[in-house]
Amino acid sequence: MNENIEQDLQKQLRKEAIRRNWNLFRQSKLGMIGLYIVIFFLFLALLQPFLFITGIWNKGVYDPVVGYEAIKDTLLVVECPKEYPTEKYESMKDCPGEGEINVKRLYLAPGVEVGDYYEAFIQPAPPSSRHLLGTDSLGRDVFSQIMEGSQVAFVLGLLSATLGVGISTILGTIAAFFGGRVDAYLMRQSDLILMLPSLPLLFIISAFAELKVWHLAVVLGVLGGLGGSVITIKSQALQVKVKPFVDSARITGGSRWRIMFSHVLPNVAPLALLFMVFSVTGAIASESVLSFLGLLNIDMSWGIMIYLSQTDGFIFSGLEFWWLILPAGLAVTLLAGGFYLVGRGLDDVFNPRLRKR
Amino acid sequence: MSKEVLSVKNLNMHYETLSGDVHAVKDVSFSVKEGESFGLVGESGCGKTSVAMSLLQLQADNAKISSGSIVLDGVELVGMNESELRKVRWDGISIVFQGAMNAWNPVVKVGEQIREAIREHYPEKSKAENTEKIESLFKMVGLDAAVIDRFPHELSGGMKQRAVIALALSCDPKVVIADEPTTALDVVIQDQILNEIKKVQELLGLSLIYISHDIAVIAEMTDQMAVMYAGSIVEIGPTDKVFSTPKHAYTRLLLESTPSVVGEKKKLRSLDGEPPSLINEITGCSFSPRCPDPSDDCKNQNKEMKLVEIEPGHFADNCCVDCG
Amino acid sequence: MGEYIIKRTLQMTVVFFLFLVFSYLLFNAIPGNAFSNLLLNPDLPPDAYNRVLELYGLDKPLFERLQLYIVNFFKGDFGYSYKSFPKTPIELISERLPRTLMLFAIVNIVSFYTGFFIGKILAWRRGSQSETWITLTSVFSYTVFYPWFALMMLWVFGYKLGWLPIGKFLYPEKWYDAPFDSDIVFSSMIKFTIVVSLIQFAAYLATRGIESLSSRRNLRFASLIAIFIGSYFYWNNGAALIKKPYAADIAYHMILPVMVVTIVAFAGTALLTRTTMMEVLKEDYILTARAKGISQKRIRDRHAARTALLPVVTSFIFTIVTIIDGSVLTEQIFSWPGMGQLLLQSVLEEDIPVAMACFSFVGVFALVAHLLADISYSYLDPRIRIKSQG
Repeated sequence: MNENIEQDLQKQLRKEAIRRNWNLFRQSKLGMIGLYIVIFFLFLALLQPFLFITGIWNKGVYDPVVGYEAIKDTLLVVECPKEYPTEKYESMKDCPGEGEINVKRLYLAPGVEVGDYYEAFIQPAPPSSRHLLGTDSLGRDVFSQIMEGSQVAFVLGLLSATLGVGISTILGTIAAFFGGRVDAYLMRQSDLILMLPSLPLLFIISAFAELKVWHLAVVLGVLGGLGGSVITIKSQALQVKVKPFVDSARITGGSRWRIMFSHVLPNVAPLALLFMVFSVTGAIASESVLSFLGLLNIDMSWGIMIYLSQTDGFIFSGLEFWWLILPAGLAVTLLAGGFYLVGRGLDDVFNPRLRKR
Repeated sequence: MSKEVLSVKNLNMHYETLSGDVHAVKDVSFSVKEGESFGLVGESGCGKTSVAMSLLQLQADNAKISSGSIVLDGVELVGMNESELRKVRWDGISIVFQGAMNAWNPVVKVGEQIREAIREHYPEKSKAENTEKIESLFKMVGLDAAVIDRFPHELSGGMKQRAVIALALSCDPKVVIADEPTTALDVVIQDQILNEIKKVQELLGLSLIYISHDIAVIAEMTDQMAVMYAGSIVEIGPTDKVFSTPKHAYTRLLLESTPSVVGEKKKLRSLDGEPPSLINEITGCSFSPRCPDPSDDCKNQNKEMKLVEIEPGHFADNCCVDCG
Repeated sequence: MGEYIIKRTLQMTVVFFLFLVFSYLLFNAIPGNAFSNLLLNPDLPPDAYNRVLELYGLDKPLFERLQLYIVNFFKGDFGYSYKSFPKTPIELISERLPRTLMLFAIVNIVSFYTGFFIGKILAWRRGSQSETWITLTSVFSYTVFYPWFALMMLWVFGYKLGWLPIGKFLYPEKWYDAPFDSDIVFSSMIKFTIVVSLIQFAAYLATRGIESLSSRRNLRFASLIAIFIGSYFYWNNGAALIKKPYAADIAYHMILPVMVVTIVAFAGTALLTRTTMMEVLKEDYILTARAKGISQKRIRDRHAARTALLPVVTSFIFTIVTIIDGSVLTEQIFSWPGMGQLLLQSVLEEDIPVAMACFSFVGVFALVAHLLADISYSYLDPRIRIKSQG
C-alpha cells in the first residue's frame, strides 16, 4: 500500500519534471528549430517503408539501390554550326539547345538525320512529378535514396551515440567512484584515444575489415566512449559524489554499487544525454566522410550519394544536375545541425548557469 | 538639519517570469540624509536586494520599474539611459554586494579591479596617484598595501570583504549601499567588518544604506530603519523608536524572534508559515495569513495597505497596527 | 606548477609508449603487406617473395619486430619508404610538413580570432534577432558536410568565377626556372609568419602596463602599422625579393583552402565561446563591474571575454592536435601535397614505414599539444597557478 503511494508519487514527480523541462526547452527557439528538423528526417526515414508496404511505391522502380526507371524524352536532332553567332545560337555553349541533340553525338545510331526526332533515355533525369528529386545516373530515385540515407543516419547516429555514452558514463562514474589505479588506468586510456588521429585510424580499420553500418556504429561508439567524454563525465560524477545525499545513502548502509547506480548515475544522466545528442552529430559526419572517400561497404547513404556524384563528375557540372548534389549534402548538414541545435536547447535546460536570469 | 541625498518615492518593480509577474517591490518610499545611515530589514525574498538593485538601476533584464522615482542629489535616476547611469554608478552611489567571494573577477588582480573603477570616473589621474589612493583606502579598511598585487583567491573571506569596501569607496561616492556584507563571514570577522564600515562611514561622512535580515545588526548600525515584508515597507522610522515601540505585528515578531544577550531572559517567539508568493496581486493586509492575533481589519482584508504616522517620523502599515 | 608539469609529462610519456605499441599492432593487423602483389606474378621465382620479406625483416616474429621498432624509433630511424625507395619517411615528412603547417597555422589563427569575436557578440546579444541568425549560420558551418561544402566552393570560386586556382599549391609552369625548391620558399614564409606573430605578441605585452586606455590603443595600432611597413620592406629587399613572386604564387593558391577551412573551423570556437561567455556573464563580478560604471564594451572584452577565454584556449590547443587529422580531407580535396595526403596515401598503399612514421609523428604532435594545453591553462588561470604551487 505504502509502496504504491510512493511509486505513484515518484511517477507524478517525474511527470512534473518532464513537463517543467519541456516548458524550458520550448523557450529555446533554436532548440525547437533543431527538433523540427530531426522530426522531419525521422518522418522521411519512416515514410519510405510505409510507401513500399502500402504499395504506393513500386519496389522495382523506387528501390534506392536496385530500382530503375528510364525516363524517355524526345529530342530534335540538329547540327551545330561551325561559326557563331548564328540566328539560333549565341555561342558554342548554346548548341544544342533545350530538347535538342547534336547529330554528331548519335554516331552509334546510324540513319538518324537532322530534323528527325530522336527518343533518348535521360539519366540522370531532372525532378518530375513521378520522381520528386529526379533520378541518378543509374536511373534510381533520388528522393528514395534520401529516405534510405536518413534511415542509415538515424540507425548509425543513435546506435553509436547510445553505445558511446553508455560506455563513457559507466567508465566515468567508476573512475570517479573507485579512484586510485582504476582511475589512473582509465584516464591514460582516454589520453591514448585522444592522441590517435581519428580519420586515419578509421582508414586503417576499414582496410582490414569490411565496414557495414553496424560495425561502423560500434567502432565510432567505442572510440567516442573511451575518449575525452570519460574525463568530463568523471568530473561531473566527482561533483555528485560529494553531495550530501550520497553521504546519507552511504550512512544508511547502501552498497557502493547501489549508490553508484541509483544515486550518482541519475545525476550524471543529463550531461550524458547532452553528450549523446552531440555525438550523433559527429557520427553522422564521420559516416558521410568515410562513405565519401569510398571506404565503407554500405549500399546507400548520403555520403555515398555525394561520392557517386563526385566520381561521375557531376559535382563540377555545377547546378545543372543540382538534384544529385544539393539534397544529399543538405540532408547531412541539416540533420547533423538539427541534432546539434537540440543539444544546444537541452544545454539551456540542464545547465542552470546558461538559463536567462 | 542636513539635506536629503537620496529619496525614493512610490517605487514599484516587478520581474516578468514564465509563471507570471513577480511584484518584488511595491510602493516603497524612503529617504536618506547626508551622513545618515539607513537600515532595511526583512526576511529573505522580501525585496530588499531588489530595492538595492533598483537604486543602482542594475536590475536583471526581466525586471521592470513600473512607476516611482529615485532622486540622487537632485538627479532623477529612473529613466536615465545607460551612459548617464554609468556616470552616476560608483561615483554617486556604490554598493558592497552580498558574498564578496564572487564580487571579484578571479583572473584580474585586486588592485587592477579597483584601479579600473577609478580610471573610468577620473581618467585624468595618473597611475601613481591611483596607486596612492588605493593604498590609503586599504589602510583605512585595515588591509596591507601588498594586497594590490594579489589575485582574489589569494585573500581570505574577511580580506576580500574589506577589499570590497575599499572598492566601494574608491570613487568617493555620496551613498554606499551595503547589501548583507557580512552574511558569509564568521561572527568574529563579521564584527570587525561592521566596525570597519561604521568607522569609515563616520570618517568620511557617508550616507549608508544597510541591508540585512539580521535586526540586531541593523540596531547597531543605523539611525533610521525600515522593515520590509512581501515587497512593501510595513514600518519605518528612527531606529531607536522602532525598537522601543514597535507598532507593526511583523516588527514585533521579528524583534521577539531574535535572542538578546543582555537583559532579561525571554522565550523566543517563532514565526510560522512562509511569506506569500509575490506573483499574485495581494489586496488588503499581506501579513494577515501569518498574523498570530489578527485584528478585524487585518483578517477581513478590508483596509488598503497604507503607512500611517504613529508618532513624528515613525510610520507603520495601518492594517496590522492593532494586531496582537 | 613545475611539479604538476613534470607529473603530466611523465603520464604523457607512458601514454605515448602505449601509443607506439598500439599503432604498431594495429598496422600489423592489416592483412597482406606492400609486397603481396609479388605473389600474383607467376614469372617470379617462388622464393623471391620470401627473399624480399627477409630483406625487409618482415619474417621475424612479431615481438622482436616490435622491440626493434621502438628502439629504432628513439634512434630516429624509421627505415625506408616501400613505395618511394630510397627516400626515408623522415625525408618525406620534412618535405610535406611545412606545407601543412603553413596552411593550417593561418587557418587556425584566422578562425580562432573570428570565432572568438563572433562568439563574444553572440553571448552579448543574447535573445536578439541577430543572435538567432548568426547562431544558425554558425551551426550550419559547424555541421556542414565538409567535403561537399569544399567541393561546392571549389566549383564556385575556382571553376564558375575562375578567381582562384583549382587545387595544387603552385603553378608548375611558373617554377620551371626557379632558382630554388618550393620547400625553401615555404620555410621562409613560415619563418616570416612566426616572426611577425612574435613581434605582434611582444607589442601586446609591452603595451599592457600602460594606464591610459586611449594611448594603449593607439600604440597597438601603431605597432600594427609598423609591422605592415616592416614586412613591405622585407619582401622588397635582398634575398626575399627573388622569392617574392614564388611566395606570392603559393599564397594565391592558399586563399581558397584557407577560406573554406576557416568558414568550417571558426564556428566551433564561436559556439564554444558563446556558451562559456554566457556562463561567465551570470557571475557576480560582472554585476560588480556594471555597478562600477564600466562601459558595456569593456565589461564584455575585459571581464567576460578574458575569463571565457580559458576553456576556449584549451579547446583551441586541442584542435591543433587534430591539424594533421583534419588535413587529410582538406588536402585530398584541394590536392595540397602535405602531411594529410601523405598519411592517407601511405595507409591506402600499405607503405607501412611511412604510415607508421606519420602516425608516430601525429602522436608526438598530440603529446606536445596536450602538454601545451595544460601549461597554458595553468598559466592563464591564476587559480590553478597557485593551487599547483602549493
